[in-house]
Amino acid sequence: MEAAKNENGNVPRRRLLAWLSSVGLAGSAVLAVLSDLIFFKPRVTYGQPALFQIGKPEEFPPGTRIAREAERICIVREGDKIAAISTTCTHLGCSVAISDTGFACPCHGSRYDQDGTVTGGPAPKPLPWFKVTLAPNGEIEVDKNAQVEPGTYLTV
Amino acid sequence: MSTPTQEPGVWNAIRELPSNVWSSVFRNPLPSTDLERASTSFTNFFLHIHPVKVNRHTLRPSYTLGLGLISTFLFLILVVTGVLLMFYYVPSTTQAYDRMLDLRGTVAFGIFLRNMHRWSAHGMVAMVFLHLCRVFLTGAYKKPREFNWVIGVALFLVTLFLSFTGYLLPWDQLAFWAITVGTSIAAYAPVIGKQIQFVLLGDANVGQEALLRFYVLHVAVLPALLTMLIGVHFWRIRKDGGLSRPEKTGDSSRRRGDAENKRGEDAELPAAGTVTLKKVYGMQGFVRGPFLKLGNTPDDSVFSWPNLLMAELFVLVLTVSAILVLSLAFNAPLEQPVNVMHPPNPAKAPWYFLGLQEMVSYSAFWGGVGVPGILVALLLITPYIDRGTGGVGRWFARERLLANTIFLTLVVLNLIFVAIGTFFRGPNWTFVSPF
Repeated sequence: MEAAKNENGNVPRRRLLAWLSSVGLAGSAVLAVLSDLIFFKPRVTYGQPALFQIGKPEEFPPGTRIAREAERICIVREGDKIAAISTTCTHLGCSVAISDTGFACPCHGSRYDQDGTVTGGPAPKPLPWFKVTLAPNGEIEVDKNAQVEPGTYLTV
Repeated sequence: MSTPTQEPGVWNAIRELPSNVWSSVFRNPLPSTDLERASTSFTNFFLHIHPVKVNRHTLRPSYTLGLGLISTFLFLILVVTGVLLMFYYVPSTTQAYDRMLDLRGTVAFGIFLRNMHRWSAHGMVAMVFLHLCRVFLTGAYKKPREFNWVIGVALFLVTLFLSFTGYLLPWDQLAFWAITVGTSIAAYAPVIGKQIQFVLLGDANVGQEALLRFYVLHVAVLPALLTMLIGVHFWRIRKDGGLSRPEKTGDSSRRRGDAENKRGEDAELPAAGTVTLKKVYGMQGFVRGPFLKLGNTPDDSVFSWPNLLMAELFVLVLTVSAILVLSLAFNAPLEQPVNVMHPPNPAKAPWYFLGLQEMVSYSAFWGGVGVPGILVALLLITPYIDRGTGGVGRWFARERLLANTIFLTLVVLNLIFVAIGTFFRGPNWTFVSPF
């Protein structure tokens, strides 16, 4: 790169300035693209909230398996243990229905057992379990943003 | 023209008004000489997209099958009918379906417009794909047309995405579950799949945000992108030397190279309006590149006006007629309004994604992301891998037996998967016979 240097062995001022402004322009372009990506990822969603309360524990007597279709979860109570299992099929997002043996997806025939473990069909993953807590007002609170290990119950 | 010996009077001006207005808009009379034919093509804004002359081979219906033109005209129909439908459509989960019913019940020609839009959309997906097949099978993607092939592949993908975003807008059961299934396929992309799905839907599930996003993409972003890409695609056809054709079609200057050859289709033609026999050279005369040559060398080309224009008009009339007949004969489907609780059984993606969905039912990642990703990548690099120069401009050329065989095998496999997904899959995605 002899031509890039002048007789003093330094990079000429014009070249340096051109180089610096190119870096600046390219940097702004990258920033613009990144800020677009941030823009398109919503910070607030207007649909079904991910954190919601479903009622007091006594509304779910032991042995309950209730699918709450709007929230796309199934509330399971065994004894004094309560859990919330997703009813969104892990295959392609259809709503699974409660069947005799657990859950069955009407779209592409995925089947799950009572705990959401895949027993047949194309589903690649078990149905996720969501974090269930008891809110200070005594209601059960489900957080669909927080997944827990299957078999994790809230004891009431 | 009046003689300039005296100032023209007002009366004269009024008398000549029609012809003066006409000649100020159209610089040329209806062409009767070659010079005027050439001049018509390049002085008219709407016609100057054409070269002044085209090779006879380009006009052969059996070579192009008019597939690119048909795709373009379908896009035009889609823009016109789409803009009209926008006047009555509201992208709201509570109103969209009612608006569909209104199109059917109260809006004048509403059902007809919707039919035209729907059948043109399906037609465009099919025609763009067939155009891609034509270009491959005639070896038309070869040097110097490699990059135009890449743009063509991009056009194909944008077309698919346009159709996909339009699918949601009626907000019926078909729309809702097709998009639920389709965006879930996107979620299988590694690492960023879930993020893509979330950004696409604007929420965890298909809902109001997704409807709004798909609407904006469908009516503004993607059509603008498609229009721009079409512009580049057409421009490059000209700059890459017109449509591909076999070597020996008369114009020896087609190959890249020699600066001695003065070429450029506009080079030897006079400026607008001046009818002169003196040769005028523009800068185009010195541009290097594989341009069609005009000049003393006999070649196998004919004037675009009227030859190319007539061919285009013919394809336009044919395309519009076909869409009109289809729209009179078949109504676009509209199912029950969205019921988030009850997916139909089976829930199917749009037909052109059913091949994907069929593959997804075997392996989620490979069917939904891996195989399609590899196929698109293969399409994109094809012209940079297949560098042979033989067999350009002929269907199923013997020199291209291997490439064509691989391509056709993949196409047929894809079609088989689409057919299985469309006709042979019943409730719970079990195998059923359509007969």
